[in-house]
Amino acid sequence: MTINESAKKLHGRLPPKVMRTAKEARKVSRQLFRQSFRDGKLDEERITQMVQTVLANKSRHYVDVLQDYQRLLRLEQEKRHAVIESASPLNRSIGDQVVNNLKSRYGDDLNIEFRTNPELLGGMRIKIGDDVWDGSVRSRLRQLQEQI
Amino acid sequence: MNTILQELEETISRLKTDPNRANVGTVRECGDGVAKIEGLSDVMLNEMIEFPNGLYGIALNLEETEVGAILLGDFAEVKEGTEVRTTGRLLSVPVGKELLGRVVNALGQPIDGKGPIKSEKTYPVEKIAPGIIKRKSVSVPVQTGILPIDAMIPIGRGQRELIIGDRATGKTTIAIDTIINQARLNKAAEEGKIKNHTPLYCIYVGVGQKNMSIARTVDILEKAGALPYTIVMSAPASESATNQYLAPYAGAAMGEWFMDNGMDALIVYDDLTKHAAAYRQVSLVLKRPSGREAYPGDVFYLHSRLLERAARLSKEAGGGSLTALPVIETQAGDVSAYIPTNVISITDGQIFLETDLFYQGVRPAISVGISVSRVGSAAQIKAIKQVAGSTKLDLAQFRDLQAFAQFGSDVDPGTRKKLDRGSRIVELFKQGQYNPFPVAQEVAILFAMQKGYFDDVPVAKVKDCQTKMLEYFTTRKDDVLATILDKLTIDKEVEEKLHSAIKDFKSFYKP
Repeated sequence: MTINESAKKLHGRLPPKVMRTAKEARKVSRQLFRQSFRDGKLDEERITQMVQTVLANKSRHYVDVLQDYQRLLRLEQEKRHAVIESASPLNRSIGDQVVNNLKSRYGDDLNIEFRTNPELLGGMRIKIGDDVWDGSVRSRLRQLQEQI
Repeated sequence: MNTILQELEETISRLKTDPNRANVGTVRECGDGVAKIEGLSDVMLNEMIEFPNGLYGIALNLEETEVGAILLGDFAEVKEGTEVRTTGRLLSVPVGKELLGRVVNALGQPIDGKGPIKSEKTYPVEKIAPGIIKRKSVSVPVQTGILPIDAMIPIGRGQRELIIGDRATGKTTIAIDTIINQARLNKAAEEGKIKNHTPLYCIYVGVGQKNMSIARTVDILEKAGALPYTIVMSAPASESATNQYLAPYAGAAMGEWFMDNGMDALIVYDDLTKHAAAYRQVSLVLKRPSGREAYPGDVFYLHSRLLERAARLSKEAGGGSLTALPVIETQAGDVSAYIPTNVISITDGQIFLETDLFYQGVRPAISVGISVSRVGSAAQIKAIKQVAGSTKLDLAQFRDLQAFAQFGSDVDPGTRKKLDRGSRIVELFKQGQYNPFPVAQEVAILFAMQKGYFDDVPVAKVKDCQTKMLEYFTTRKDDVLATILDKLTIDKEVEEKLHSAIKDFKSFYKP
């Protein structure tokens, strides 16, 4: 007799499946995620194909699977996403220089986004994945405040 | 003014202003004192994580895509999407003698309103215990001043002795009496009254207790003059489970500083049952798998790594020591519950307190049969060893015979003698709260008991006789007590002096 069967006999119904669902969905989504790469990079074609298969099959917990899969893809994408923030718009030559430096450090396939954020007061703040290089005036002022 | 400006300019020029690299993450979920954070790919286990507004957290769960962290302080401001960063530091607390006489929280911050603590040194809260090379066996006693403990269940410096019992059986009282006695000894040594005494500093860690209990403890220590030698750490029930979980480790770090600097320290964890419950809460909220009684799988390691930090160091390693007195509260005397058995197996002995004895008026309500000290007489001075060697046996035999003799009054003279002696020992071992005895007085009482000087005193009058005898010794035979303290052994001369003094006392004492 399986656990579910014995539980059904005891309580007349199946135990809540929240935990189990989450675990199973996560397992499947991780498998999908592992299949999404070609030559170490995310492959859009494969991803679309897999999502369509999942949608067509409508297997158990397929919504949870897709949600978790989307989260994993988002996190993976964020790893290669660079945000360059500056207090005022950067001129082209400086922007190019920064982009070239970043590419030499992190590889060519970076997805780069420029943003202006007046709160920085001056300087630049670059975020790539979980790494932040903060050379903004705001952070220097904060450092100064902490050290004095 | 110019010099100030110059200094400021120099300071500013010295400041590091290069762009700094940080590893950041985003809060995905927060509640019940824990946060789930996405990102933080470089975070280390137990590393401090910086939240906005000066709040810190500790990374406890490192998972595939997220980090589970416990928060130290008010987490009302933390919201989903808040950016946090790693610090590369482990949680540490201030240590040093500056903390003596203060009441601090689990992070070592003062909460007694006596101003900031000017300590420059810090120690990490989690530290691996000293290894075998650095250790030495326990040989120096901790004089608790509690007669039955010093006579039968001696505690040595560097030992871990568990105090276990039901609620309201006097567990905390034993710990506090011990602290008070250390303060008296330290003070006497400072005044030159005792020779060769290394001061023993005390740390009292109150976990999950009522604020009122901690306030009362502080008050008692203050009135007894013990606070200047004591650090009180408080993580009351009103604080977060995180702080209750961390407090014993923070206290141990403060004790380790004394140990590492060649000094002796004593730490009381009051109590580890609530500590385990706090850790269970943290673990359940972090969604760690739960085991027996819903405690997580590593609840044994929780206490073993804490209590292993108590040690006696060898001379080469400085010769310091950290003695631990953990307290465990049982439910209806059940020592075979999960946490009590764990801690019993970790410690070097236990003092078991019984509710029945407590209500029979035997206070401290120590159950002699199941209380032990695995260090044994190595942690007793010679004089106590000479006079208390057979006490435990006498008392155990008395308990056996007492149960037997209940059924009939006809007992042979030998048994009657044992019963009489036993009931007098029980009377002698009753002791008031917050009134520890100096070791010389303990020797005198035990000597009188062993030599049968109490045998002709009616049981009901034994306590009175003991009090008056001690009064007589302190007022008129101070020299005998001084000789005992000086020699720490009972040789022919001391024995004669004791005999004559007690005979003299008995000649005018009328029960």
